[in-house]
Amino acid sequence: MTAPLAKAAILTVVLVATSVLCWELYVRNNDFDTSYDDGPPLWSDKRRMIYEPADRSTVFIGSSRNKFDIDIDTWENITGDHAIQLACVGSTPIPILEDLANDEDFKGKLVIDITEVLFFSTSPNNTGTPIECVKYYKDETPAQRASFYIDHLLESQFAFLDKDRLSLNAQLKNLRIPNRPGVFEFPIFANGFGRVQFNRQEYMTPKFLSDTNQQNQQRGIWAMFGKMRNEPPASGKKLDSILAIVKTSTDKIKARGGQVIFVRTPSSGPFLAGENMGFPREKYWEKVLAVTNSPGVHFADYPAIAHFACPEFSHLSPADAIVFTKNFIKILNSEKGWKFPKQVQL
Amino acid sequence: MVFNSYTFIAFFIVMLILHNLPFSWKVKKINLLLASYLFYAAWNPPFILLLWLSTVVDFFVGRALYNQENKHKRKLLLVVSLIGNLGMLCFFKYGGFLLENFTQLVNAVGWDYHPAKPNIILPAGISFYTFTTLCYTIDMYKKESKPVKSILDFSLFVTFFPHLVAGPIVRPPQLVPQFETPRKANQHQLMQGLLLISLGLFMKVVLADSLLAQSANDVFNSKAVLKTLDAWTGVLAFSGQIFFDFAGYSTCAIGVALSLGFVLPHNFLYPYAAIGFSDFWRRWHITLSAWLRDYLYIPLGGNRNGKFKTYINLMITMLLGGLWHGANWTFVVWGALHGFYLWIEKFIRDIRKIPEPLAAPVAHSKEAAGAGTVRNKTFSNFMLAMVTFFFINVTWVFFRSPDFTSAWQLLTSMFSNAPKAEVLLTTLSIIKVFVITVLLVAFHWMMRNTRVLIVAERMPWWLLGVIWSVFLLLLIWSQESSSSFIYFQF
Repeated sequence: MTAPLAKAAILTVVLVATSVLCWELYVRNNDFDTSYDDGPPLWSDKRRMIYEPADRSTVFIGSSRNKFDIDIDTWENITGDHAIQLACVGSTPIPILEDLANDEDFKGKLVIDITEVLFFSTSPNNTGTPIECVKYYKDETPAQRASFYIDHLLESQFAFLDKDRLSLNAQLKNLRIPNRPGVFEFPIFANGFGRVQFNRQEYMTPKFLSDTNQQNQQRGIWAMFGKMRNEPPASGKKLDSILAIVKTSTDKIKARGGQVIFVRTPSSGPFLAGENMGFPREKYWEKVLAVTNSPGVHFADYPAIAHFACPEFSHLSPADAIVFTKNFIKILNSEKGWKFPKQVQL
Repeated sequence: MVFNSYTFIAFFIVMLILHNLPFSWKVKKINLLLASYLFYAAWNPPFILLLWLSTVVDFFVGRALYNQENKHKRKLLLVVSLIGNLGMLCFFKYGGFLLENFTQLVNAVGWDYHPAKPNIILPAGISFYTFTTLCYTIDMYKKESKPVKSILDFSLFVTFFPHLVAGPIVRPPQLVPQFETPRKANQHQLMQGLLLISLGLFMKVVLADSLLAQSANDVFNSKAVLKTLDAWTGVLAFSGQIFFDFAGYSTCAIGVALSLGFVLPHNFLYPYAAIGFSDFWRRWHITLSAWLRDYLYIPLGGNRNGKFKTYINLMITMLLGGLWHGANWTFVVWGALHGFYLWIEKFIRDIRKIPEPLAAPVAHSKEAAGAGTVRNKTFSNFMLAMVTFFFINVTWVFFRSPDFTSAWQLLTSMFSNAPKAEVLLTTLSIIKVFVITVLLVAFHWMMRNTRVLIVAERMPWWLLGVIWSVFLLLLIWSQESSSSFIYFQF
């Protein structure tokens, strides 16, 4: 009885090890490199860092633009300041802003990215992820945290551990089986669009930047989202209630000695035109600054960061993110009075 | 700590090493006990105190119950134990539910009473370890077995990590004697254990979480009236999910225990091949069914007080069994539906004078297994199994729905074609659910009279190796995060 089971176990080890190795080599030869699962465990890991001294760290919240456009390495090299990225893709930052505001121990610097279509949304599609992240952070068990550290070790070594693109479900979805009319299926993003580093920096791969098919695919997805959107731009009482939450939250942070600044990161082409039409600057951006009595940096106001052409109209390429980050730091330091551990030299 | 997590894999490897080092048996038991507390505390450390309280109280009350000759004092001790165990369960699990119902009741009679909503966290596995300790004190009261001699063995019996959080619900005679003499898995047991762990994780992570959960969640969370195809797909997805989730946990638990040299009772025996509802309950969550039979149905009188009382006892057992699963009236209705099904089945049996089988037939030898499968593979039996499966699916609607409005809406979608019904699921989701459901039912039918280890050991080693590899590769490929098992909330 023993021998057949033991032999089967040995065969299993050999087959599994060989298959995993072959799969890893295959994906690495197909434009995949290590990328981290940007789920609640990784977000919670960064959330735990917000208690670093206020003069040593800056917290970023917002949506995917903040994750692509703020180059964390550049930020940390120039400022000597630890950049803690808490933005969530496709989401409004308001649940996270409220969480930070209600945490009496958070007294640091906060950069809030405003992507109007997401920031002023109350749709569960745009609030779900940040709410889930905050809940996970609060409920995280010691076992889950230990699993996260082991997962980190594995994800740092194996490129095939990319849930969004290479998991069983992702691969089945790539079969692109047609659906019945009326069924919504979340689109498959371009392969090289969003890779995630352990510090939650998101970036486009070189292949994406050189492949106009991938860029057009991603532009098409943004256009589809735009057409599908059935939530009109917030106005009237709905807008007032959103602004009231933002004001209450920023006031709480500022009252504890924290610093808050809003940023409108670049977009371009038809995407920017659509945003300007749906969310006129004076009715949204200016109103946020006025209601919260907070400073802001709008990319259109500064020639050094107003010229970017986003590859898929909505996010900066890694090279442009570095330029944007340098100039953003310069503006913060010279015009907005932000101080950093290192003397800013640009 | 959940079995489907990296933390558990690391923990289990350390435990395997420690258990195979040349320590004394007492040291090994202490290791197992400390590891079990760590296993539990890794979820929420403060709740370890509840576990200690339950262990200590029941150890001493159990011993006193056995030794006490005075009838009144014995009854008093039993009441202390019941209040301690059930009181804890009631507070943590049913506190909010009771308060909510009380509030509705008093408001209905005109008293304007609106208390603050209690924020009670349910300790993981409380329903399971409460039943484990309860059966010990009841056995002591009835003097059905002898008291456990050492508190170390008793603590390990209650806390042994493979069964602690979601069963199988063990009885003292099943596990305590295994702690009395040194145990270590031989190579055969270790391989069997590892195979079962792989199978259990495959069921939970690949089938339940990766391939079925999303469809079930989408349908049960939908506010819209759905097309019949979508509604049935969601219900079948949940039907598969709940089986793979819970049977996957039980299979892992049995495999983990076996890898350390301990044997836990089986909890599932291919329930979707059940022919009739009493057969279903002999195959689904077997240790709970047996517990309810021995500690509720039989003490209520069982079938000893005439037919009418038998029907009533059956329904009470199923209603309370439903409530055990969760503090919501939907669970009670789920139990009531099963009770109703059992009534009808019993009624037919009584009319046709068909005797009830005592247990699901399991062939332990290869020859008997072969004979058993041939005996039951008639077309009419298969059709009866499909009818049973159909009605079981209807009950899952109440089990999974958050409230009666949602349940009723889904049932309407399943059994009528509303003109404004919406489509929801992708073609891929529908294909996944139907392929898995067909394979699940076919597999259960093929395996209904045997067990997986018997079949595995009859295979050529290379074929078993290939199948085992497929389990593990799909497990790695699915990349599902370590989500909780559904039964943890019960």
